[in-house]
Amino acid sequence: MEVEKLEAKTAVATAMEVEKAASSAAAPRPQFKPLKPHEMSDRKIEFRKVSVPQHRFAPLKRCWMEIYTPVYEQMKIDIRMNLKTKKVELKNRADTPDISNLQKSADFVHAFMLGFDVADAVALLRLDDLYVDTFEIKDVKTLRGEHLSRAIGRLSGKGGKTKFAIENSTRTRIVIADSKIHILGSFLNIKIARDSLCSLILGSPAGKVYSKLRTVSARLAEKY
Amino acid sequence: MAAAVEMEKEEESPMKKGEEALERLRSADPPLYLTQSSEFARDARAASCFLFSSLVPFCTKLPVDRLLVEGFDAEQIWYQIDLLSRPLLSTVRREFKRLEEEHHSRAGLSTIDADGDGEEMVVEKDEISVDDEGDEEDGDESEEKGSEDEEDGEEDDEDDGEADEEEEEEEEAGEAKGNVVEDKFLKMQDLENYLENAEAKEYGHPLEDFDSDGDEDAELGANARYEDFFGGNKKKQQKKCGTVGKRKRSSTELDAVDHFENTDEDVEKNDSEQKLLSTHEKELQKMRSKIEEMEKANLDPKSWTMQGEVTAAKRPKNSALEVDLDFEHNVRPAPVITEEVTASLEDIIKKRIIEGHFDDVERAPILPSKPPKETKEMDENKSKKGLAEIYEEEYAQKTGLAPALLSASDKLKTEATMLFKKISLKLDALSHFHFAPKPVIEDMSIQVNVPALAMEEVAPLAVSDAAMLAPEEIFHGKGNIKEEAELTKEERKRRRANQKRRFRRLKAETFKRAVQKTGQSAVPGATNGN
Repeated sequence: MEVEKLEAKTAVATAMEVEKAASSAAAPRPQFKPLKPHEMSDRKIEFRKVSVPQHRFAPLKRCWMEIYTPVYEQMKIDIRMNLKTKKVELKNRADTPDISNLQKSADFVHAFMLGFDVADAVALLRLDDLYVDTFEIKDVKTLRGEHLSRAIGRLSGKGGKTKFAIENSTRTRIVIADSKIHILGSFLNIKIARDSLCSLILGSPAGKVYSKLRTVSARLAEKY
Repeated sequence: MAAAVEMEKEEESPMKKGEEALERLRSADPPLYLTQSSEFARDARAASCFLFSSLVPFCTKLPVDRLLVEGFDAEQIWYQIDLLSRPLLSTVRREFKRLEEEHHSRAGLSTIDADGDGEEMVVEKDEISVDDEGDEEDGDESEEKGSEDEEDGEEDDEDDGEADEEEEEEEEAGEAKGNVVEDKFLKMQDLENYLENAEAKEYGHPLEDFDSDGDEDAELGANARYEDFFGGNKKKQQKKCGTVGKRKRSSTELDAVDHFENTDEDVEKNDSEQKLLSTHEKELQKMRSKIEEMEKANLDPKSWTMQGEVTAAKRPKNSALEVDLDFEHNVRPAPVITEEVTASLEDIIKKRIIEGHFDDVERAPILPSKPPKETKEMDENKSKKGLAEIYEEEYAQKTGLAPALLSASDKLKTEATMLFKKISLKLDALSHFHFAPKPVIEDMSIQVNVPALAMEEVAPLAVSDAAMLAPEEIFHGKGNIKEEAELTKEERKRRRANQKRRFRRLKAETFKRAVQKTGQSAVPGATNGN
């Protein structure tokens, strides 16, 4: 972030100089600085509104400062909580450096609303290529009643160990909310995690999933 | 024999009882023999006793001199009689032959008279019949037939008759004998032949029935018996000689054949040429016959053992069993299990068990070709770092901003290397004679400036003082440090001058400050002075 800001500042400075030089000189090829989002949108302010589900109110209250600080300080996005509408509102500022900051911040808040930890969700702010993937258990296999409960139990494992195993080996974060499953991570890792979760839903035992995970993650690690 | 007859006649008179018994037996009807009457049995026993005792003088070695009949059964009585009669028969035969010869020498040519022969035979028979009067039945029957009984036939009859007398209960032989006196011992044809022979001998006529062997028999008186038996077989032998293989010719047979000059062609020439060949010619003929044999064998189809591939159909049945077939046995024959073998095996087993030296097939250990992969263990706990931190660390490592983390294996490796170094140092100190200093282990530890005395109290004398602080750490000094006593005069002066200068400067500075602070000179006449 700091590096980016520094670059932006220097770019502005040089651009200014160039402009001046250009205006004074006999019009060499013009070089413009990158547009700020503010200017890009014709000085219009963009908003993002993220609704807060009931069960995330208390955690939001608890972790508000942790959410607010990086968004306001680093992303240069205005953030506020509208209690009446129960939404978190994000707004572009004049000095927002990048146009994608708003979206990233919105994603960050949305991820928190889905159930991810702030520490995990912050990665969305920092890295570009992280995504959140959601799917339902019924997408994979139609299960009802007891079977559904058992499937959910299989997914998380005893004390959540299966879920943690998948998270650790694939460097993703998983949130299991009733029938919905959210996965946060890079594209390939999401794929691997999703495959393991689907096999678990379909009924394979945890050991089998572990062995597969091991091989895949080893292969992934070797790549880098 | 006449003398014998007289002797027997003499003995008859005392044994009248026996004779009477014999008479009674003789006169009894045949059916009466079948009945079981004790009188008959008594008579039979008495008769046998009488006969036995009458014959005893003619026998040389006899265990008993009279027949024991009281309390003995038929078998035993018969056996006693048998003991008596066997040597007696042989003596009688010999006597007869002797008599025959005497008769031939004495008697000249006399008319061949059937009756005369019959008479002679009857006379002879009568001479002998005295020995066994109980045989008159048989004798009568033979006379009625009109055929001449042979000496052998008579003797057989005698035996049979004696048996008959004893075994009255089973009297059937007499009837059987009476009809046809022919069994394996007596053949009518042989009987006739022999009689003709006898006649020829007696009257010196060459007989036409027989071959020339008759003359030879006459000439070779010593070999009469031999040629009787082998004379008829000569022809058969001649025919056989050609077909029989070389092996079957024994030397004796060859000699016998050669003696009679037997070849296929020379049958007719036998008589004339047999005695005229020299030994050389005989040998030549032997050779020739041998050669012919061999040629014949070569021309004939070979025996099945000499042919190449022979199936079971081409050889006679069960012929392979008789021949010694030579196989190549590729299999070691099974060992014969004896007690010693089992004992030796058991000893081996016991020894092996005690040693623990078994012949189990062990898996060959897989040698690691490459170092084992470091497999990260699956962590089933909630990760303590947030996702962002993980990515941050990864990025930092990639770009090189942060040092690479020591993985667990690295830690283990360092620990292992440290341990190994320590151990190797100790081993070197033990094994090498020359001194090797301790390796420097860079370690961070707090060094305390403890007075040496305190250190020495605790530690043994041999502890080096390298662990203590270095002198420069205790004292900072510059240049050539000298004590007071070592200084020269000039140096002392210089020191004092420096000291003074410093002091004055200090003083001046403090004064200046004080002046600055108050704004006026507090001390009068406070100027820079010496």
